[in-house]
Amino acid sequence: MRASAWDYDETVLERIVAEMQSAGASYAEARLHLLETTAITIMNGAVVNIGRERRWGAAYRAIADGGLGFASETLHIEGKPTVDAGKRAVAAARTSARLVRSKVSLGPARLGRATYQVVPRRPFEDVSLDEKIALLKGIAGEFLVERGSFRVQSIVLVYREMVEEKLLVTSDGALVRSRIPRVSIFYNVAAKSDRGRANRWFMIGGSGGLEVVEAEKLRSHLSSDVESLYVNLVKAEASPKGVMDVVVSPEIAGIMAHEASGHPSEADRILGREAAQAGMSFRTTYKGRLIGSRYVTVIDDPTIPGSYGFYLYDDEGVAARPRILYKNGELNEMLHNRETAAIYGVESNGAARAMDYRSEPIIRMSNTYIAPGDHKFDELIEDVRMGIYISKYMEWNIDDIRWGQRYGALEAYLILNGRIEKPVRGAVLEGTTRELFSSVDAVSRDLKFYSGTCGKGEPPQGVPVWMGGPYMRLRGVRVR
Amino acid sequence: MSSGIPIGEIASRTLRALEGEGYEAAVLVEAEKSLMIKLARGEISVTQSWNSLRTHVYVAKNKRMGVYTSTSPEPWRDLLESARLLSFAEESPLYAPLPEPTGASLSRVDEKIVEAVDTGDASFVIEDLELDNVGDAAGMVLLEHNVKHLVTSAGADLSHESTRFNGYLRVFRGSASGQWSWTSTVYEPATAKRAIGQAIELAEECAKLPRTKIEGGEYRILLGPMVAGNLLGEVVEAASAGMVLFGMSFLHSAKVGERVASEKLTIEDRPRDTSLPNFRGFDDEGVATQDKPIIERGEFKGFLHNSKTARVMKASSTGNAGWLIPTAFNIHVGAGDLKSTDILEALYDGVYITNNWYTRFQNYLEGEFSTVSRDAVIIVKRGEPAGCVERIRIADKLPRILSNIEDLSRDRWPIQWWEVRLPTLTPFVLIARARLSVAGP
Repeated sequence: MRASAWDYDETVLERIVAEMQSAGASYAEARLHLLETTAITIMNGAVVNIGRERRWGAAYRAIADGGLGFASETLHIEGKPTVDAGKRAVAAARTSARLVRSKVSLGPARLGRATYQVVPRRPFEDVSLDEKIALLKGIAGEFLVERGSFRVQSIVLVYREMVEEKLLVTSDGALVRSRIPRVSIFYNVAAKSDRGRANRWFMIGGSGGLEVVEAEKLRSHLSSDVESLYVNLVKAEASPKGVMDVVVSPEIAGIMAHEASGHPSEADRILGREAAQAGMSFRTTYKGRLIGSRYVTVIDDPTIPGSYGFYLYDDEGVAARPRILYKNGELNEMLHNRETAAIYGVESNGAARAMDYRSEPIIRMSNTYIAPGDHKFDELIEDVRMGIYISKYMEWNIDDIRWGQRYGALEAYLILNGRIEKPVRGAVLEGTTRELFSSVDAVSRDLKFYSGTCGKGEPPQGVPVWMGGPYMRLRGVRVR
Repeated sequence: MSSGIPIGEIASRTLRALEGEGYEAAVLVEAEKSLMIKLARGEISVTQSWNSLRTHVYVAKNKRMGVYTSTSPEPWRDLLESARLLSFAEESPLYAPLPEPTGASLSRVDEKIVEAVDTGDASFVIEDLELDNVGDAAGMVLLEHNVKHLVTSAGADLSHESTRFNGYLRVFRGSASGQWSWTSTVYEPATAKRAIGQAIELAEECAKLPRTKIEGGEYRILLGPMVAGNLLGEVVEAASAGMVLFGMSFLHSAKVGERVASEKLTIEDRPRDTSLPNFRGFDDEGVATQDKPIIERGEFKGFLHNSKTARVMKASSTGNAGWLIPTAFNIHVGAGDLKSTDILEALYDGVYITNNWYTRFQNYLEGEFSTVSRDAVIIVKRGEPAGCVERIRIADKLPRILSNIEDLSRDRWPIQWWEVRLPTLTPFVLIARARLSVAGP
């Protein structure tokens, strides 16, 4: 039978952890990590590739002499994790200790001794690969359409089903075994008209089985996105620019929650540990607590069933829980691992995640969203005299302290006297985190989530996340 | 390099197993040992060490294609099982038979790097680069030893061995910062120290200059090598035929000989330059790599192809496989006429952007993008630094940026970091007009 982390004998890791301690580690951790992915790539209705990747290996961390070390190995020596690799982590920790002024320590935490798994409602095997391919091809083919000068030039669609299994053992007592299946569909639609070209990419993802990516859901997203491209390339007129009211969709609220709330609340960033890579945080030097209006509450919650960023214990063995990052417009909790929690004198809230066996656990988001309110969407619109409603974005970016940001609209509409009027193109919402969140005067009762892969770390690690929120109304913000 | 079965044997056994079931196959086995020291706040935040063996295969049968990876010590078992997935596939529009191997093995290693990753001891780097002396800084230093072996059904049996010495440092002086990177096949402390010196100089310069603000609008801009490496790297990516077929390239309809940039610009893929760590004597299909221009004096010289994209686009392989998506290996941007001492004088009135990140395309097909500055952004007035600004963006179209290149520097820098994934030897690039935007106070 093929080895996996789900049923691996934990005493093998316990022995390695003990050897690492004998070699001088004051803390030792060993993780077996399997990520098995099958992917189908379809281009313009034809299968161009069926891929499979089996990432299977072990990761070790050690603290020695106050330094932190990490080592990883594929299990290419007799197919087993090795004591040597564990000891490499200890040696790496000693290298770190050569240039450390404040010694690394880990704070107390609610460590798990637990086994958990996500049981899919519709297992991957319920539908044969043949049927999956036929279904995906059929759906992609439906949208290679032409309408006047508008033509969908290409649709690339990548279906992925993954199983992630982990077995974690730490020298201070954590023993966590987990199995999480996930599924996603990414697509990119490229279109043109006599006015230009544009593309839209999108991803549907979640933990569980095929129930995450039901055919009707994919069809509905593709249909909506092709329509958005049509509107952008054929019907939309130039967007007004200047200071105005803007209503944003849950898609825009979600990316704002992730980029302007989640990332700056990562404690390692705030402390400068990611300064040369993913960057820093305005929270390092921010004066006061007020960051937005009282309608802005942002939560990161790994425990949402079915979510793409789901987990119950983090990769340090700490029990996961929801974290309130911004509470009624005020800066609140940070995202912590055990190292940053010790520095801040708090308990870790379980945000350490590692992408695979090659990756050290670092502080990551899971499912980050702006909490819904009590308005209806129509109520948000009817109080706007002149402004725009941004439904979908094409592009966004944000500076490295997570302060100045912009969101370029794919689909947007002029709002005049409380009514949604004609479509507009070229609108870019731009502002600082405080400007944008302070301008929120109402949020809707809806809550929708969007999937993504969040990047951070060196070497870069991409982990699955959800981003979400309600419709939000922003008063008097800049549109360029 | 691994202490199990030699990688050449793993490759051959895997190929035999696949061919035994009638598959056409290419097998690439990669053994890698590496060490990375990561710094933050002038201290080592973590030292990381990797030892891996990975087997990648491309298989085809009846024009059906698949690409699979395994990390198992006897990967042919896994991979044979994976290859059976092909029975569910259909003829791929990209399929082409594996080409005759024309490549040759090419190797260059630095024994100091090999020894360091073998013993797991990279502490000499701390002294050599004087990392305890740079003050408040963050970054990383990577030492890597990589061995590859490729066998294919078309007869390739090729090996490759290389080392890498790569890193970057972001130096802080108060609220000012500067960042620079380096990359090399061999361990050259002087190259790293020169880059670190640049980062320190930028941080110290901005710490001395007044903080100022600018309005959004059109400016003359000077791109430092970190920024040039990022944006011109996007151009190289757009020149991959795979990106054209996937609908994600602004060069989608470029014709050979067509002017796509200022005549000052030449960009080459230089896989045979063994001073840069992604050098290769053969691509993933066993085809000989070749140094070649992508843009020469402003003219487009052709897409990067593997045998599959070449067949679809009626071209020849350029030795840039990637089994599915063709890729460049090492990038050279041609030097210009500007002496480094004259470069701010050449900019005269404008904005010198030294580093950037988060380059995002609003529209891949039209090359419409924006990218965010980080670290030192220096306002230059009458050829002199006059102040530093924060949080600006270049928000423009790549074709327009390329056309507006006025000149480049004579000096070139070997750059590779988070936002410049391929080793890139690039000068400073002076742009006559580019649109900048500023996000609020």
